[in-house]
Amino acid sequence: MKKFKRFIVPVFVVAAILVAGGALFYKIQKQNDNPEQFIQDKAAFLRLIQNSSEIHRLWNQGEESREWSLIKTECLKHLGASQKFDESLLRCNPILLQCHALFSKNLNYKLVNFEEYDNAPYRYMTKSNSAYSGLREAGVSVILEDNVTKKRLDIFLADQCQEVYLEQRAYAYGEQPVAKDGEDYRFDNFNRNIYLDLHLVTNAEVNDWIKFGNPDFTRGLTEKKGDELFLPATQLTYPQIENYCSFKGKQVMMAHFFDAATFLPMDLKDIIPKKNLRSPYYWTKKASEYKSDCSLIYSKDCINKKAYTLNSTDPTWAGIHDAMGGVFEVFRNPIDPESNLKASSFYFDSKSSWHKLGFRAGWDGEGFDLRNFDFRGLNPFTSIEKFEVGFRCMREVLQ
Amino acid sequence: MKIILLSTFLILTSCIGNMDKQISVAEMDLKLTQEWIYTDKVSKLKSNDVELTRPPGFEQLVMELSIPQVGGLNHKTHCVYYSVPYKEKVSNFKVQELKDVDSCPDNSDKGTTFVSLDGINNLKFNFSNFKMVMEFQYKKEKKKIEIPMPNIETGLVHEKYHSLTEKRLLSGLRFLRLNDESFDNASNRYLGKLSDRFSKGSAIRCHQVDKDCKTIGEYRCEECRYGWYEVVDFQCAQGGSKFCGQNHCGEKNEPACPRGIKVVEPLEAGICQSDLEPVVNGDKILVCQ
Repeated sequence: MKKFKRFIVPVFVVAAILVAGGALFYKIQKQNDNPEQFIQDKAAFLRLIQNSSEIHRLWNQGEESREWSLIKTECLKHLGASQKFDESLLRCNPILLQCHALFSKNLNYKLVNFEEYDNAPYRYMTKSNSAYSGLREAGVSVILEDNVTKKRLDIFLADQCQEVYLEQRAYAYGEQPVAKDGEDYRFDNFNRNIYLDLHLVTNAEVNDWIKFGNPDFTRGLTEKKGDELFLPATQLTYPQIENYCSFKGKQVMMAHFFDAATFLPMDLKDIIPKKNLRSPYYWTKKASEYKSDCSLIYSKDCINKKAYTLNSTDPTWAGIHDAMGGVFEVFRNPIDPESNLKASSFYFDSKSSWHKLGFRAGWDGEGFDLRNFDFRGLNPFTSIEKFEVGFRCMREVLQ
Repeated sequence: MKIILLSTFLILTSCIGNMDKQISVAEMDLKLTQEWIYTDKVSKLKSNDVELTRPPGFEQLVMELSIPQVGGLNHKTHCVYYSVPYKEKVSNFKVQELKDVDSCPDNSDKGTTFVSLDGINNLKFNFSNFKMVMEFQYKKEKKKIEIPMPNIETGLVHEKYHSLTEKRLLSGLRFLRLNDESFDNASNRYLGKLSDRFSKGSAIRCHQVDKDCKTIGEYRCEECRYGWYEVVDFQCAQGGSKFCGQNHCGEKNEPACPRGIKVVEPLEAGICQSDLEPVVNGDKILVCQ
């Protein structure tokens, strides 16, 4: 036993010294450790951060970005879009990111594609399809990958640049009362932060709902392609419209807020006027100043003059487009639920009495045949197989 | 014999222990950057842009960071400590990680060590313009670590004719820590179902005000899965109680929609469909019946 101890103790001590020495060497090595690798990795990270701000710029600038001018031709060819459209729709639009990923050259990063979503380089994220905490609004998530190190960074781009804030002031609902004692329906939005969609929801946006939303709510809907991408979505029934807006954490545009954003205030400085006068036309304070102009109302007369596009008319005082003319637009009307349709559209010629703000028809929200609409006896003169009903959403923001 | 074995064992463990904790400045820079760019909130920052010189020899909490965990379902906390050098006692910079949202204790006993480095002198933090800058001396060399924090938001800007603007490094841009769990429906803790209705009693109240216009309980409307809507109850200037879900205000047995506070009398403060009347329910909410 003594011999064994004599043998094992020195061996053990030597082994311990070797291990301790090794550990010490490893520690010293680690401290000076190839700091080059860490420096390179940090540089890659900073590159990704820099590139994320470039992507953010592209997301916000849309058609005004230098990238769009370089890739426009290839992008439109890829999309199969040959007709003109309002290119401001490319702001906060993942289609531009998709084309950027495909056609922009000399990038030192790439956008990672999602095989499960037809190789799209983004994912539309909302509180309804993501468990990620702290999302305020819907938007897209993108994975940036550094070309050199293959390091990745997930970024989120909020879908908030196609909305406009509704000024806090007193507003009017409905047409100008005809009778002297007719009800002057007024309301206000003081202490409320309300954002309205600038434009009607597009087919491209509905495509994202179909792709990334709950399939139980999008059953029967088909994705649109080509020129239809930038046209208003007009295939949804009213319950589907409600669910689309809910998917985005929003609600269907309410009739009185549409009136608020379209009736031109008599005095922009006076936020609580004694009376809200209502001009039937969004561009003038005088009812007598009606103009048959396709950039103000895209009526039936305009179809032969220029192709219909989304945002075909000038914005209202509040900034929203297509207040008159174009396709029908449905609202949720909590005051007169049966007056829920902006009938001013390209189904009626420029002389039609439907071209008036606050004057609405009715839609049952179930189908698109004449029997699904109530035109108060002022029906279109031509027979239409399927009417097109567009919609937009709105939301209220806390704080 | 036993003494020899015991001291050998002690030497070994101390070497291995030190090996785990001490890292290089470059590694620390990378480790901190990879975590701190996701920071949602910085609090308890001690002496912004001022060199930490006191108290010598004692560990102090200098900052607390709230950071989403990978997947984004929960948050964790980074507690940042610093010991100013004193005589033979070297300085130490240490970040302790707490697995959930918690307040950092005054000393670094709690949590696991995320980074620790001795010999950091003349340490100074500067947090401004959504960027954390850490300057210090290490082995007689000046060092600087800069970490952008784009997820920190200090408020919103609501301006007529404009879209929503967030007060952050770049409005609308956030860095996420996504994984499969981030898109797992079963993990989704946002509030409400699409079928929830006030009229059925299934809508979740996310904000409640009382007759004195004070908030009762938690404010959770930002957690509503399908948006939220306000009801008319106590005519409070800052608004009424709120519910999660699809808005059906004005409809039968649903709450009246707010009509405003300045152009109508309190009795007409709710909007109902023309064939319905607003009636005050047991919770003092105007309901259309």
